[in-house]
Amino acid sequence: MRLELREITKQFPGVLANDRISISADRGKVLGLLGENGAGKTTLMNILSGLYRPDSGEILIDGQARTFTDPADAIKAGIGMVHQHFMLVPVFDVVASVALGAEPVKGILGSFDRASARKRVVELSTQYGLDVDPDARIEDLPVGVRQRVEILKALYRKSDILVLDEPSAVLTPGETEELFDIIRGLAAGGTTVIFITHKLNEVLEVADTITVLRRGRVAGTVLPAETTREELANLMVGRDVELTVSRAPAKPREVVLDLADLTVRDDRGGIAVRGINLQVHAGEIVAVAGVQGNGQTELVEAITGLRHVDSGTLTVGGEVVQNATPRHVADMGVAHIPEDRSRDGLIANMTVAENYILDTYHRSPYSSGVRLNRKAIAEEASKGVREFDIRTPSVETHVGALSGGNQQKVIVAREFSRPVKLVVAAQPTRGLDVGSIEYIHRRIIEQRDAGAAILIVSTELDEVLALGDRVAVMYAGQIVGILPSEQATKEAVGMLMGGVH
Amino acid sequence: MTAATAPVTTGVPRISAAQQRAERMARIRGIIFAVIGLAGFSFASGSMGSDVTFRFWIQEQGGAAWEIHTAAGLLWILAGVTTGVGGIYQLWKGASVSWRRWMALALPFWIAAIIGTLLAGKPAVMTNLFGGSLEYAFPIAMGAFAAMICERSGMLNIAIEGKFLLGACVASIAASVTGLVFVGPIAAILVGVGVGWLMAWMAIRHRVDQIIAGTVVNFGALGLTNFVYLRILQLNTDINTPPTVEAIKVPILSQIPVLGPVFFSGTPYLYIALITMVVLTYMLFKTRWGLRLRASGEYPNAAGTVGVDVIKIRYRAMMLAGAIAGFAGSYLSLHSAGSFQMNMSAGKGFIAMAAMIFGGWNPIGAFGAALVFGFSDATQTLLSSLGVDVPPQILTSVPYLVTIVVVAGLVGRVRGPAMAGIPYEQG
Repeated sequence: MRLELREITKQFPGVLANDRISISADRGKVLGLLGENGAGKTTLMNILSGLYRPDSGEILIDGQARTFTDPADAIKAGIGMVHQHFMLVPVFDVVASVALGAEPVKGILGSFDRASARKRVVELSTQYGLDVDPDARIEDLPVGVRQRVEILKALYRKSDILVLDEPSAVLTPGETEELFDIIRGLAAGGTTVIFITHKLNEVLEVADTITVLRRGRVAGTVLPAETTREELANLMVGRDVELTVSRAPAKPREVVLDLADLTVRDDRGGIAVRGINLQVHAGEIVAVAGVQGNGQTELVEAITGLRHVDSGTLTVGGEVVQNATPRHVADMGVAHIPEDRSRDGLIANMTVAENYILDTYHRSPYSSGVRLNRKAIAEEASKGVREFDIRTPSVETHVGALSGGNQQKVIVAREFSRPVKLVVAAQPTRGLDVGSIEYIHRRIIEQRDAGAAILIVSTELDEVLALGDRVAVMYAGQIVGILPSEQATKEAVGMLMGGVH
Repeated sequence: MTAATAPVTTGVPRISAAQQRAERMARIRGIIFAVIGLAGFSFASGSMGSDVTFRFWIQEQGGAAWEIHTAAGLLWILAGVTTGVGGIYQLWKGASVSWRRWMALALPFWIAAIIGTLLAGKPAVMTNLFGGSLEYAFPIAMGAFAAMICERSGMLNIAIEGKFLLGACVASIAASVTGLVFVGPIAAILVGVGVGWLMAWMAIRHRVDQIIAGTVVNFGALGLTNFVYLRILQLNTDINTPPTVEAIKVPILSQIPVLGPVFFSGTPYLYIALITMVVLTYMLFKTRWGLRLRASGEYPNAAGTVGVDVIKIRYRAMMLAGAIAGFAGSYLSLHSAGSFQMNMSAGKGFIAMAAMIFGGWNPIGAFGAALVFGFSDATQTLLSSLGVDVPPQILTSVPYLVTIVVVAGLVGRVRGPAMAGIPYEQG
């Protein structure tokens, strides 16, 4: 079916999330919807799936105007959503997850007719080549398979329009290729696909037309054959951007971080980091690649003193620090940019100044005895704000009111405000706009050139390749390969990420 | 691969942490069981001579009886042997759950040995003990069902206690005023539904923390019913003397020897609890309603995005739970007491929540757990009626000890609905 959105406008308090957005996708075609975080992609998708109602504008399906008051309406109109965060009940099996909300029933009690639902699921998965065990529990399935279950969910509801929101965020490069094959297959079968992403390469590879969103508006619609990465990036950001930050070759010196047979457990007691050996030298960046959930989070927490080390040794600058307190580790000159900035990096309801001194408040000049020195705090924080170009009305503004990019800059400013020997940065640019990404990358490289050892953990392959002087790949709690930057190609790293070595 | 590739660590035995923990727990369990088993033997030597009689009424109370005569010592030996063997078997087998079967076998011997020794020759009327267990278990089981429906839908309902009290109070008044016994439970159900709706409205519409909303209802109900009792019911005793619910013998089934008097000669409450258990199990796990209810409690966004109305499901779950809890409350005043008394629920609503957890958020399990609690109540009644000198606090504390052991994970991890008590936000 042909889908068209005309002049969709949606206003939130203080933000015009969608400003007269018009897009269209023809039957059997793939529309790539490209935009940065905050460009209005998610709002548009929520309007399309019936979760929000637009203030004005209309949704047309095959030329007919439709209004959706809830998700059930959108599903009935043939729109199927594959959300970035999978909407699957972990303890259900595949059949129940797919059928939920559209269950076949029999009898007066409304018994769930599992047998006939299972039959449909098996039929659909053979018809579309989506290989899934119908009786497996969702929580036992790898993410790539869960995504197939999500697609089956849409097909089960006979959706003719499939919307995929950042579908590759959790996939390995290999799984992403499989996903593209599935998308091409669906489009060939007459399904209209809308593919939402912030990754330039992906739209270029899979989309028939590309619409770029910027700050709630359509910045342009182009054909993949007639455009370039640079043009797309330009449309996305609104100015010329350097896609890769230039950096001089590394001059590695002495070992700063030394991990020997490091073993760490996850929250449930399973082994997450399985005897890792890794050295990071002063003056080099080691980037750890890997699909989310292969032990990277636990590794970072162990290094920064937030997680118990089961066995092995961990030294920073020659001093043994496993199971030291986080403050001790920080005082040794370890800067930590945590993976989840709103949970572990900042306190949203405290001011920029207060967040700026979270790890140094107990020291002079910020405090003397039990008393905090407000004046010194405000002065130092203002210095940080200027130096790191943090856009905030004042240092007394609550940090939660800032944009994601500025929040991240507050963290980076704080961590780099004290002498730094080692930087441990997890997902340092997750969810940021291209401009902020560029800025933070530059700051990290500056620290390297000033002589710090840098360990970056990222699931974004582009980031790993852009920054890493050496690229280590983690898979199932182990480092399955370390490549110097000249050998770290997308293909080589991608293979290792999928556990092929 | 290149020279820079790190050596891949191989040969690390891939024993998961969970497995290691299970092995360790198994060893600890095995040793504990073996030691307890030996203790059983040591008790036996002192009590070989003392007789124990277990009496079952075949048809009528006081009529023909079927009796088991044995020596307390023999029971201690059986308890010791089954436990000890179970312990050794566990040590030999390592991590396995076969010990549960051994313990299920050993537990009745332990209970029989303890009761037999305490009674010191007096006959234990097992018909009353088992029948009493079922009676005591009723409000606990129904309360557990109510709490379970809520938690499965993603709501935390700790106000079972308050609903028991309100149900008991309203049922007594309604039945007294009309003189019709069945009006009592109906009134209690209506009040329960109302309170359930109120809690859902506070928690969903106004985002009141669900623990606080539940606490408000519990204390509110206690204060309100105390007030009603002291200021109204005590002054007008005629509106607090309801007709009581009489036992109904189920035709044919109640004639089954031994089992009939235990299971099929009780009040309708007992039968309703059994029917509720079966129907609720089916509804939760085999129907569309159950699927959607469980999805709402595990991952409401998954249900919401496919067009399931999570809010409506949660409102309905709270109201249904209110109906069940209110109905169970009517049992307190209309069953044996024959009047409403202050704080007559005496914490049963909280024990019901323990039974829900003990039973793994599953109706049959919860009923079983309620029976454990009911059995310890019935044993206490039996012993005190025979004048056995055991501090009742010891017996009443047994179910709580069992709950702590269960929840602490000795029996295996029990996992409740993931999102119970967390408000649902759409979009």
